[in-house]
Amino acid sequence: MPLPIEDLWAVSPEIWLAGLGLLLLVLDLFVPSGRKAIVGWAAAAGLTLGLVPILGLVGVTPRTVFFGTYVVDGFAIFFKIVAVASTVLVILSAMDVLRGQTQFEGEMYILLTFTALGLSLMAGSADLIMVVLSIEFVSLCSYVMAGYFKADRRGNEAGLKYFLFGAGASAVMIYGFSILYGLTGQTSLYAIASALSGAPRPAVVVALVMALAGIGFKVSMVPFHQWTPDVYEGAPTPVAAFLSVASKAAGFAVLLRLLAVAFASAPVDWITLIAGLSAVTMTVGNLLALPQRNIKRMLAYSSISHAGFLLMGVAAYAGEFAQGLLYYILAYAFTNLGAFFVAVTVGQRLGTDDIPAYAGLGERAPALAWLMALFMLSLTGIPPTAGFVGKFYIFGAAVQNGLIWLAAIGVVNSVIALYYYVGVIRAMFLMPPASAGPVGQPAALQLALGITGLGTLAAGLFPQPFVTLVSAASLLLRF
Amino acid sequence: MLLVDWLYVGVFLVVGLAMAALPLAVVWALAPRLAQPQKRTTYESGVVPFGQAWAQFNVRYYLFSLVFVIFDVEVIYLYPWSIVFRQYGRYAFFVMLIFVGILLLGLIHAWRKGALEWT
Amino acid sequence: MTLGLTHFLVLSTLLFCLGLFAMLTRRNAVAILMGVELMLNAANINLVAFNKYVAPGALNGQVFALVVITLAACEAGVGLALVMSAYRNLETVHVDEINVMKW
Repeated sequence: MPLPIEDLWAVSPEIWLAGLGLLLLVLDLFVPSGRKAIVGWAAAAGLTLGLVPILGLVGVTPRTVFFGTYVVDGFAIFFKIVAVASTVLVILSAMDVLRGQTQFEGEMYILLTFTALGLSLMAGSADLIMVVLSIEFVSLCSYVMAGYFKADRRGNEAGLKYFLFGAGASAVMIYGFSILYGLTGQTSLYAIASALSGAPRPAVVVALVMALAGIGFKVSMVPFHQWTPDVYEGAPTPVAAFLSVASKAAGFAVLLRLLAVAFASAPVDWITLIAGLSAVTMTVGNLLALPQRNIKRMLAYSSISHAGFLLMGVAAYAGEFAQGLLYYILAYAFTNLGAFFVAVTVGQRLGTDDIPAYAGLGERAPALAWLMALFMLSLTGIPPTAGFVGKFYIFGAAVQNGLIWLAAIGVVNSVIALYYYVGVIRAMFLMPPASAGPVGQPAALQLALGITGLGTLAAGLFPQPFVTLVSAASLLLRF
Repeated sequence: MLLVDWLYVGVFLVVGLAMAALPLAVVWALAPRLAQPQKRTTYESGVVPFGQAWAQFNVRYYLFSLVFVIFDVEVIYLYPWSIVFRQYGRYAFFVMLIFVGILLLGLIHAWRKGALEWT
Repeated sequence: MTLGLTHFLVLSTLLFCLGLFAMLTRRNAVAILMGVELMLNAANINLVAFNKYVAPGALNGQVFALVVITLAACEAGVGLALVMSAYRNLETVHVDEINVMKW
């Protein structure tokens, strides 16, 4: 039963990424230590080229390939672009951090490339086996990256904690999937959908809750969020940026596909469940972010609360399109990556991640400080930034779908969030600098910062082209 | 109908939890508790352990076993493949060639990076 | 008495609960990992049993189980490596004592 050649064409981005990863694996053997940045540049260039086959699939008729286990549709293509593009930016930001810090510099770029492959697979999975396989693929690479600096005690702790939480959560999820398989006798999400409508409700609820444990862990949804601050603080900062954007986005892709396809006609009200989880997640994340003094911990809790906003988009998902969610993810990807890149720069140059160390940054590195201010405003959702447009669309979607109470909670949370985001801006511009002297930035990091800053501003000032893009890409193959 | 379904879930849950809790409860009820320092030694028979239990094996061995476990488990995919090999012929051969080739690349990487050195 | 689906489900539920229990109560990182492996094997029993009794025509469940076995091995490999690297630095594998950062 050889595969039809069109199926191979449909997975050309994945083939490219897999080939690139293997190629880098060989390249790394021949590059002498001390010049490993070559591997990094090769990875960044290869991944950028990988966008070509992905863009080549734009406009393809949505269909399943590989015997119904994999799907190509606008929705999957969108998340593949987000995954690959953010991996490129993370690699650019990681080069300065890795230099001289570890003897395994090349492997980090290879791991990031393979993780990008895993994230692409997550976005297109249409079968329980593929979902499990791709989530685990990403998780295993992420555990290693979180504990990458073996001599760093906090890194050790981050890796170990991430692994223990993650392994437990995915074991529960796999058990839930086994129940789902038992109820339907199918592993394809599309076949499960039709078989699930007559299934006994209690068993469906158990399977859904168990599956949510695994995916909720990946997107750091309350109550599966406890790992987030420790891992973000202990992991290398570029890795934290990667976890907070790329793997979170892919987690939402899987979550929405699972709920909207497999549980479409299941005898369980998942919309109310997700709406409740959304309210709890954004509130808990926000309240815990308030007292934080470490920028990475603050961004970790802020990313939990943003997971809550994104869950609102999942709950408000109606019909075939998911523009609200997708626009928010786009805005969040630019903004949060940018904020983490500023943290990378400051952490590298000043050697600390404490927010008081940002005092006087407005004088010492005006460009950096203004960029950080832009990212903070965008995370709060203040115009004219991408975050505002994202929040606008996601609240609008919630109201349209009768979740007015949830939108109200979201607005209140945005106001609370203003406090800790503005705290950073206040430190940068109003506090006297602890020590004088400019803060330099390496070229690769400047490039990454420039792209994210430009994206944040452009998606806020001129939302129309992005909305068109997102609408065109938001078609989710449901049947 | 609905109630019976929930009942099943409930029974499973209760029995499962009970099986986990029962041994602990039995131990708690039956075992005598003597707060003597000897109880906390490794061997209650009186042999005094020396050195750290963790230092018994060279840490190198763990690395080998890790690499071994991963490559060992990949063989799992060769079994279903061998069953359908006759049916699919050359196609199956090339597909498995790619699979084994990727594994080989991983092994070469581990070897060149010195993960397989004895010293 | 013939062996039916229920027997397998009871076994797998017990195994899962034991694994979960171990994961939640144990303080040794390696023991937690063992609990996780128990839970994964419980899922495997489920998958193979469902394959036989619910969907005997297809092999999806068995393939799923094979994939889960592989994942469990990879997870053990990565997990033990992380435990080792943590032990070298922190001199302990007890999760209570691994708290450089506040929880």
